[in-house]
Amino acid sequence: MEEILANVNELAVSQFGAEYAEARAQKLHKTMLTLKEGRVEVAKQGIENGVALRVLVNGAWGFASVGSLNAETLKKAVSDACKMARTASSRLKAPIKLAETKTVNDRVQVKSKKNPSAISMEDKINTALGINKAALGYDKRVKSCTIDYLDLTGTNFFVNSEGTSIEQDKLYVWSRITASAASKGVFTFSRDEIGSTAGYEVFDTEPPEVIGETVAKRAIEQLDAKPPKGGKSPVVLGPNVVGVFVHEAFGHLAEADLALSGGVLMNNMGKKIGSDVVTFYDDGTVPGAFGSFKYDDEGVPAQKTLLIKDGVVTGLMHNRETAQKFGAEPTGNARAEDFRVEPIIRMRNTFMAPRDSSFEELVEGVRSGYYFKSFRGGQANLDGTFQVGIQEAYEIVNGEIGEPVRNASISGNTLETLLKVDAVGKDFKLWPGRCGKGQTAFICDGGPHIRVKEVIVGGSA
Amino acid sequence: MAVLEKDQMLSLAENAVKSAVKKGAAEAEAYVYEGQATNVGIELGQITKSNRIIDQGIGIRLAVNKAVGFAYTNIIEGHNVVESTILKALSAARANKPDPDWKGFPEKKPYATAEKLFDPKILDLRSEGLVDIASSMLNAAVSVNKRVFPIEGGAGAAYLSSAIANSNGIAAFDKGTIMECSLAAVAKEKNRVTPVCFEFNAERAYDVDPAWVGKEAARLAVSALKTKQIKTETTKLVLTQFALQELLYYTLINAVKADNVQRNQSPFKGRVGEKVASQNVTIYDNGVFPSGLRTWTFDGEGVPHQKTALIEEGVLRGFLYDNYTAKKEGVESTGNASRAGYLSTPSIEATNFHVTPGNKTPDELLGEVDDGLLIYYLQGAHSSNPVSGEFSVVATPAWKIRKGEITHSTRGVMLAGNIFEALKNVSIVANNERKMGQLIAPWIIVENVRVIGK
Repeated sequence: MEEILANVNELAVSQFGAEYAEARAQKLHKTMLTLKEGRVEVAKQGIENGVALRVLVNGAWGFASVGSLNAETLKKAVSDACKMARTASSRLKAPIKLAETKTVNDRVQVKSKKNPSAISMEDKINTALGINKAALGYDKRVKSCTIDYLDLTGTNFFVNSEGTSIEQDKLYVWSRITASAASKGVFTFSRDEIGSTAGYEVFDTEPPEVIGETVAKRAIEQLDAKPPKGGKSPVVLGPNVVGVFVHEAFGHLAEADLALSGGVLMNNMGKKIGSDVVTFYDDGTVPGAFGSFKYDDEGVPAQKTLLIKDGVVTGLMHNRETAQKFGAEPTGNARAEDFRVEPIIRMRNTFMAPRDSSFEELVEGVRSGYYFKSFRGGQANLDGTFQVGIQEAYEIVNGEIGEPVRNASISGNTLETLLKVDAVGKDFKLWPGRCGKGQTAFICDGGPHIRVKEVIVGGSA
Repeated sequence: MAVLEKDQMLSLAENAVKSAVKKGAAEAEAYVYEGQATNVGIELGQITKSNRIIDQGIGIRLAVNKAVGFAYTNIIEGHNVVESTILKALSAARANKPDPDWKGFPEKKPYATAEKLFDPKILDLRSEGLVDIASSMLNAAVSVNKRVFPIEGGAGAAYLSSAIANSNGIAAFDKGTIMECSLAAVAKEKNRVTPVCFEFNAERAYDVDPAWVGKEAARLAVSALKTKQIKTETTKLVLTQFALQELLYYTLINAVKADNVQRNQSPFKGRVGEKVASQNVTIYDNGVFPSGLRTWTFDGEGVPHQKTALIEEGVLRGFLYDNYTAKKEGVESTGNASRAGYLSTPSIEATNFHVTPGNKTPDELLGEVDDGLLIYYLQGAHSSNPVSGEFSVVATPAWKIRKGEITHSTRGVMLAGNIFEALKNVSIVANNERKMGQLIAPWIIVENVRVIGK
């Protein structure tokens, strides 16, 4: 495989005028299940083999994706990619250049205790049925339970015209569990995800019956919850909400392509934008975590990247193109969902570093506010406006956790909110998730519990 | 561009069905898909890239003893690949549990001819033509105002085709084209940057208007520079198609899917014939809407696309069905089985979700607003409660309306409410319908929405 890819790159450089060429091939196998109330809607298996060819000609990118590993097809495709790059370069004002990286020759093998490709479809169905049973059996008011399961195994090949050649095994296990509950005209909804690059052993640490019960319990608890009061409020955020806050409200702004697009971090490099207790990392090296890998899709080793230290912006997440523009080192954040798309800057495992407060100390400091424990979704804008929807929340009254609260969300501006983080817990948890930026990337985010002096709470009351 | 021919795709599908039945499937279905897309991309104010993606494959769904299995491959060259995919689908079905509600694949029905799906000019469009389109869009944007910075966008042309066959005798082919251009821009003044403003134009034929897209994205960005905070209040919203698309996709569209209704996940269960919205609201799902972006001859199971009444003058009329949910209830599929190409099994989705227009022009609509907000872009609609319809989202930027005039923009406004309550408070529907993904809708006014300012 590597030889075919190297030949295609060679052709691009020697015959079609490319200054840089890379070929990325994948041979992947997927297993997927969808269960609805214990009925396996369908059991699926699939093969996705293909090659992505990316070339730089006259400072513009050309890209061709083909669902074939055939050498002749690839030669034709790389010729197309070079032609397209040349066409795209016709109106170019600032040619694209790449930061230098060390060439790599490596073979990365996955060593998992339980490789999903060695687990039978029957066993996978039984695991999902176990989750379903725990969820529906938790309470009669749980009306529905949907379980999606995916595992992906196979190999990626990356070869570029600079001499890098990497063969890297891929392994992902993922599941999303949603449950709804209904009673007296109130409808509630709850979801959780699990995800791992270690193997099917993730179900040993996250037992099916525990996952099912957690999701169901949350849906039931919300039935008696009240809507939050809209307006400014102090809040304690759980690791799950801190994670999505770090990811959405800060992480995207620290992606160098978005910083260049006019994101608010561009004018704040090296400046203090958060309180002293705010330290964030994006780390591609956490063993077994859903956002970990050894090399990114430009052949750059993943690393632990410090983004903000004690409130000061220290770094951004780069690919080779943005690293060149900033005069920085590539950080190994270039990721492509599959052979159909180009690598772009994506997060890996993004989190806030823990400090020394206990949960009780955080809550004690709030006279009247909310504890937001688990999120439903989040989104941010380049100007730093963020929104995080909450699926599990409680009132805090006089320093104690009170009644459950339903359908809250929080909003604010990143630059204002990071300064209002006044205490950070000593606990820590990472949560798997999927991030959408045109393509889907498997990621983790997380952190400790934290307290924020003030955010805007969106509520209908 | 060389594409797979109708006969090639049909015979691939039909042969796979025959072979699956021979190998032991009680019944079988094969879906062959091809997508070819060429794009030119804009990044940070200039055209920097062009790409071509060719994706094709076959998905085989079959049943053994009422247990369903599915397998797909994107490699369709060579007899062995399809044969081994059939074997994978069979092994998946055999590992699966029987489903007593499985009542077989759809039967053959006559197709209507959908209008203007395919424009050969798009098929022949190369990156040169797309560079011209993208560059006229860029030029139009920066000519509006030098504070405008186009951050991302591009122009693209796509050809899509599919063939489906099943063991009940369905054998059908359809092809179509889509072309689009889009631009996301911000405006910059000193150290201040506006939120992202976005415009696009997508059509089935070769008639996009890149200059309009560029100018409009730029106009919105510049008008978002001057910004003032607003107070917390209950007020009137003018929802543009951008806002409607976000809000409806995660709530109302889910509530009319038969699957969710049957599974007690819809507040509309058992309420057909009841009033669920203001009389100004009439919504059809129209899979044969002329030149609709989701207009096709048949759905992902080979069932004809059709026009289905969902809400007429506020009264709930029906739901969206695929073959499975229809047979479970003893009704006909509405042709709403949707697939993401060859690699997914069908699931219920709206085709063209058409909120029918009223008589007022957008200016007349704004003229009716003494005090309110004009809403374009929403953040966080995906975190709405899909079952209850409760939403709590951020609008940024949004524009304040006073006495029928837009006075200034505002940022980070939170809107909280319930989509099903909001539907009852739709007071006026404009006449400016446009296509946006699966939505075809005009601007509407919703009364009494809780707005949380800073």
